[in-house]
This record gives sequence, C-alpha cells and structure tokens, in this order.
Amino acid sequence: MYWKYVIKRVINGIVIYIILIFIFSALFNMQMEQTVRAQIDEVVKGEVMAQSTSGKWTPEQLMNWSKERKVYYTELYNLNKPVFERIVTRAVDTILFRYGKSTIIKSAFGERDVVKIIFETVPRTLLLFGTAAIIDVILGILIGIKKAQKPGKGFDKGTSIATMIVFGMPSWWLGMLMIMFFVYIIKVFPSGGMHSTPPPAGFMYHLDTLWHLTLPVLTLVIIGFWGRAFLIRNIVLSVLQDDYIMSARARGIPERKVLFGHALRTAAPPIVTMALLSLLVSVSGGILFESIFSWPGMGNLYWISVEQSDIPVLMGDLSFSTGLYICGLVILDLIYGFLDPRIKVGGKA
Amino acid sequence: MKLKDLRGSISEFWNEFRKVKSGLVGLGIFVFFLLLLIFEPVLAPFSETNTRWRDISYWDDNPQSAYPIWVNFFSAKKYAKSSVLKDPQVSEEAFGTNRMMTYTFEYDYQYDIAPSDLILKIQGTGAAMMDLTFTRPDGETVYLTSSNLKMVEGGVSRISVDKGSKSEAYDFLGGFESRDNMRKFQRSSIKPAAILFAKAQENMLIDPEPLKGKYTIQAAILLQRPEDTISNVELVVPGRVFGLLGTDAFKRDLFSGVLAGIKWALLIGLLTAIVSVMVGVIYGVISAYLGGWKDSAMQRVFEVFNSIPLLPVLIVMSAVFKPSIWNLILIMCIFYWTGSVKTVRSMGLQIKEETFIEATRALGASNFRIIFKHIIPLIIPYSFASMALFIPGAIVYEASISLLGLGDATIVTWGQILRDAYTGGAVINGIWWWVIPPGLMIAIMGMSFAFIGFALDKILHPKLRTR
Repeated sequence: MYWKYVIKRVINGIVIYIILIFIFSALFNMQMEQTVRAQIDEVVKGEVMAQSTSGKWTPEQLMNWSKERKVYYTELYNLNKPVFERIVTRAVDTILFRYGKSTIIKSAFGERDVVKIIFETVPRTLLLFGTAAIIDVILGILIGIKKAQKPGKGFDKGTSIATMIVFGMPSWWLGMLMIMFFVYIIKVFPSGGMHSTPPPAGFMYHLDTLWHLTLPVLTLVIIGFWGRAFLIRNIVLSVLQDDYIMSARARGIPERKVLFGHALRTAAPPIVTMALLSLLVSVSGGILFESIFSWPGMGNLYWISVEQSDIPVLMGDLSFSTGLYICGLVILDLIYGFLDPRIKVGGKA
Repeated sequence: MKLKDLRGSISEFWNEFRKVKSGLVGLGIFVFFLLLLIFEPVLAPFSETNTRWRDISYWDDNPQSAYPIWVNFFSAKKYAKSSVLKDPQVSEEAFGTNRMMTYTFEYDYQYDIAPSDLILKIQGTGAAMMDLTFTRPDGETVYLTSSNLKMVEGGVSRISVDKGSKSEAYDFLGGFESRDNMRKFQRSSIKPAAILFAKAQENMLIDPEPLKGKYTIQAAILLQRPEDTISNVELVVPGRVFGLLGTDAFKRDLFSGVLAGIKWALLIGLLTAIVSVMVGVIYGVISAYLGGWKDSAMQRVFEVFNSIPLLPVLIVMSAVFKPSIWNLILIMCIFYWTGSVKTVRSMGLQIKEETFIEATRALGASNFRIIFKHIIPLIIPYSFASMALFIPGAIVYEASISLLGLGDATIVTWGQILRDAYTGGAVINGIWWWVIPPGLMIAIMGMSFAFIGFALDKILHPKLRTR
C-alpha cells in the first residue's frame, strides 16, 4: 500500500516539475534566445577571424561563409523553427539537464558548462543550510518542550515574543550586522568565503571550513530557532493535553520520561516534517544570505549571474532549485506518510 | 449584514483583542508607522527625497558619511554639527566701474572634531574675481583661494575648501608642523578643514587639538561690470554629525530616506497580503464548493503553484523583465496566494454542508451568490490572521529583490538603501548608521504585524490557547 503511495507521489512530483519547466521556458524564451543568438554571433566571428588570418579567402568568400555558418548554427539551435516548437525543445533540454553554456561565469575548473557550475555549488548550499537546520531543530526541540511544559509562564512568553521579533527580520541583514561586528570590530571570524586562501591541507582543511562556516550558521540559527521552538511548543502542547499523558503522569512516570518518551514520540512526525519544511523554506527564501557571506553556493550563484547578467546560468539555477524544492516536498510527504500510520494512504485528499 | 450588527461584532472583536497584550503592542507600532507616514511632509528634513533620492546634486551640501547627531551625547569628543551661515556682513566699495563686495561670516566653533568642509555658495550673474580669507581666533590668517567666478542666472557657484584649498592649507601647515610629520602626507591627501580648525603647533596634522573660538571667513568679490550682480551668499559648514540618522557615502540624509521607505513598505506588504489572501480564500472556497472533478483540477493547479520556490522565481522574473514596483507586487500576488488555500478549503468543505446553505440553495440562489454572499463572509475574519502574517514576508521579498539591485529605481525603499549600503562598503567601513536603521525598520514593521497576526490567531483559533 505504502509503495503505491510512494510511486504516486513521486510521479506527481515529476509531472509538476515538468509543467513548471514548460512554464519557465515559455516565460523566459525570448531572453534565452537573445543570449543564444549573441553566443552564435560570437562563435561565428571567431571562426571568420581564424579564416581571415590564414589569408586564403577573399572578403566576399568570408562574408558568404560567415552567413553560412550563422544559418548552420541557427538550425543547430532550432532558432528557425516556430515559437512553440522552440519552447518545447528548450523545456525538454532543461528537463534532461542540458542547460547549455554560460556566457561569463566559469566553474572552479574553468568549464563553462552550466550543469557543472551548478553541481559544484549544490553541496556547499546543503552543507550551510543543513548544518544550520540541524542545530536549529535540536535547539528548537529543547526550548519548545520547555515552553510547552509551562505554557503562558514567563519563559514561554519571553521566547514567544523573541519569535515575533525575528519574524520579519531579513536573515541577510542580520548577516551584515554580524559581519560588521564579528569580522571588522572584533576580528574573530573571516569575512566570508568557504576557505582561506590558500586553503590549508589535510585535517586543517576541514577545520578551516568549520571556521568559515561558524558565523553564517550562527546567524541562521539566531534567526531560525525561535520560530522552530514556537512551532514545536504548539505541537507538543496539543499532545500534552491528551488523556494518555494525564494517565501516564497519574501512574507516577517521571516527567522526563513522559515528555521525551510519550509526548515527543507522538509529536515526532509533525516535528520532522516541520524541520524538513523549514530547511526547504530557508534554502529557497534565504538564498541571498549566502552572497552576504560570499558562501559559494546556489544563492551566491543567483547573485553573480544577476550582476553579470549571465542568463543561461540564471535559468539553470532556477530550474535546478525548482527541482530540488519539489524533491524536498515529495520527500516530506513520503516521510510523513511513513512516520504517521494514521495518514490514510491512498485515500482521497 | 446590517450596520448595527457590524458595529456590534467589531466591538465584540475589539473586546477580545484588547486582552492580548502583544497584539496591542503590534497595533501601537502600526499606528505609529501610520502617523509617521501621514506626517512625512512635516518630518522629513528634505522635502524632495521621494523624487530626487538619486540626484547627487540635491544632496551636495551635506557632509559625507556623517554620524547621527545624537552620537555627541555618548561621545566624549564632540563632533562639529552641520550648519548654514546665511547672514553675512556686507560692505561695498566702488573703484570706478569696479565694485568690491565683501561678505564676512562669523563662525563660532565649540567642538572637538572639525567639520569636514567649508562650502561657499554664490548666486548671481556675470563674471567676478573672488578671494577667500580665513581668520582664526589665534590671529593667524589663511588665504584659502582666489578664483574666477562665471555665474549664470539661476545657477549656483560652489567653492569647496576641501577640494580647492588643499595647497593653501598645506602651506599653512608648513609653518608649524615638523618636517618628519609633513613627509608622511602628500599635499593632495590632507583634509584642509581639519588643519584650519586645529591649534597651530607640532603634531597638528596627526593629532590635532581643537582651537575653539570665533572664526571669521571673508569673501571679497570684485565685480567689473555695472550690470553684474551678486546675491544669496551663503557659507555651508558640513559637520561630522548630521540629522537624526546621519548621512551615507553619497551625502544623502538617511532619516529622510528611511521615512520615505515607510509608505512603500506598507503598500507592498498590505497590498500583496490582502490581494493574495483574498485570491486564496476565493480559490479555496470555490474549489471546496464545486467539488468533484472541478475540485480535483483546481487542487492540481494549486499544487503546481505551491511547488514553486518563490524567491528564485521572483529574482529571475525581476532580472528578466525589470518590473516596476506595481508589477513586482502583481508578480508576488501571482505566486503568493497559495498559502491560505488549504485551510480555507477545509473550512469551506465544512460550511458547505451546513443547513443554511442547503436552505439558500432550495430558495434558488445561484452558486455565485452562495459563495460570495454566504460562505466567504464567514471565512474572511479567519483570513485576517494570515493576512497579517503574510505582510512581513512580502516586505522581505521586496527588500531581497532590491538588495540584488533589481528594485524599482524610481522609488526609495529600505531594501534599496541597504543595497546602496552593501555595495557602498558600509559593512567594511563600519558605517553602522547606514546599515542598521533600514533593516531595523523592516524588522520592526515585520514584528508589529507578527504581533497582530499571532494575536488574531489566538482569538480566532482558540484551540491553541493555554489552558
């Protein structure tokens, strides 16, 4: 039964991804084609230059040849087909991860393949936001349970107010302040990036990464864990009001065991979902955060490609983050269905 | 619904709301923002902030990167305030057809840290020669500059000591400063104003001691033709502190900028939240009410929209289409409405089965009438909470887009000020008064709506109330 649900949900996700890619292709078709045309012009110009230096051809021949090459490339990239067909081919290309070549940006190895540029950044983004999310959730669980234990009391109220204070605070702004304070006033942390230059070798390499990771993660946790604690409090609070908790307490089971054994067990599925969802939201919502810390992840790639107006990288980045986001949503549903047997699998939504 | 009923339900609601303290605080902050918005024309020191924020000439008389004025309360050394000296003593002498006009300004200097510049502004017509002399309380006199003025009707001639008198100040310095110290600085790298207001002694370049007292600045202007005129001679003293929030590296008054950002933040937040939540409510109710395959189809469409990562799409759309602020709001509404659909749909499914809906249907009411007249008014109050909680998100999204430099360049928003601060090196140079206020405003506005939203949530969903 569960496997049926898994397959259904995965297919659903894939279909949505394909639809979205089609929408993006249609929306941004003009822009992409402009870039491709510019790239073709550049390539043809290079070829003509190479031929003219050899000195064998007359100017007229060169002209004709350049026209021929242009027609050849236009056909190669399907630019002579009707609009609809172009959109479809672009969408299919994107779905198959054929993002094309970048105009300016290069990967660490100097490649201009957009896929390679993006794949390079994904693990870094996951490292940053994953670490922050793990710390977030652990802190959130500890504080959330404390809050739920004595709802409405000083500690609960204080932390709730803190939740609301950071509610509308842009994480990148806090990042700027943290950099100003911890990097330029008391010089404790590096100003950004992922490694020192040159990066140290061996074990020190990892320590160096950790050192660079500390400040951004600290910022993310400061912004994030209040909200996490608030949600966990609400989840645990509604569980704590159940009868079986009362009966457990009446039987004289120690409070710690009631909280962590009984209550947290029942509250686990929504907490896990929430943790994953928060990771998803913070990755998609906090992408600009990376560029403040010059963390070379996917968010920073958005920044760079916007600054240098490198459209293919921008589009590739968008398609890939959409894919990741949908993946996350699917995994979320699957885990939820797995953890909570009360969810009717295969039933109507 | 009759007016009386409405008033009754509002007062009932207010009685509930009054009990939630945090909600009242949020409401208080919101009202404060509204007041600031209404009195912006009175409060803003620079009335043309909204239209000329990016016009460098408008801000030319201000000091660059000046501290907020209240820094003087906390600092042991007092920074010079900015001021404009408007009423010089005027004397006129005639030499045949030539006239010599002398304008004498008195400047009482009682600070520890010198102003950043002295700017003489002259309006008039025709050509003139001008000598600027600077007399210090200790009797030293410095000839600052002599320049030829070519004035046109309506234009303003500006003579900046900081730009034009480096050489003269350096020569003045040479009389007192040791040779070793002199060698450390180039003629072009000194700050004339800092030297002019320092005690004439050794080390005045490196560790200047302030010379307090009355300074006299004299502008002698020689007019050669009888039809030439001079008017409105002013001496601007750009200090080291300026206004409530200081100035940025482009000499703009940050208080005016932050004040101008309020209306855009409120507009973006409220409009986006109200429109998108309303769309979500209508969509959810229609989907629940119609049921069957129409419901399924609408849910599929909802799923597609719900799977879009919002900020990346916003960034790419802004980068490609370069939208104005109105189009940006529209784009945000298009992708933002999904948040409330699920809860609204489940509520709609419940309400749909109520007997009064059945009765209305039996009376022959159309679907349209049932949905908009009977179901949606019941759900609207519950959507207020999500509206309030949507607002901060919308403001932050706009700020993020602006931070990337993709915002609407015809307006002033907090995000754009932060963009300028970030690219203008405020973080590296520690210009905290450029970074903190706009971001803090975003945070405070978000906080106020969070307070209101959570309070509404508490009232409307009593399940989460603490027992």
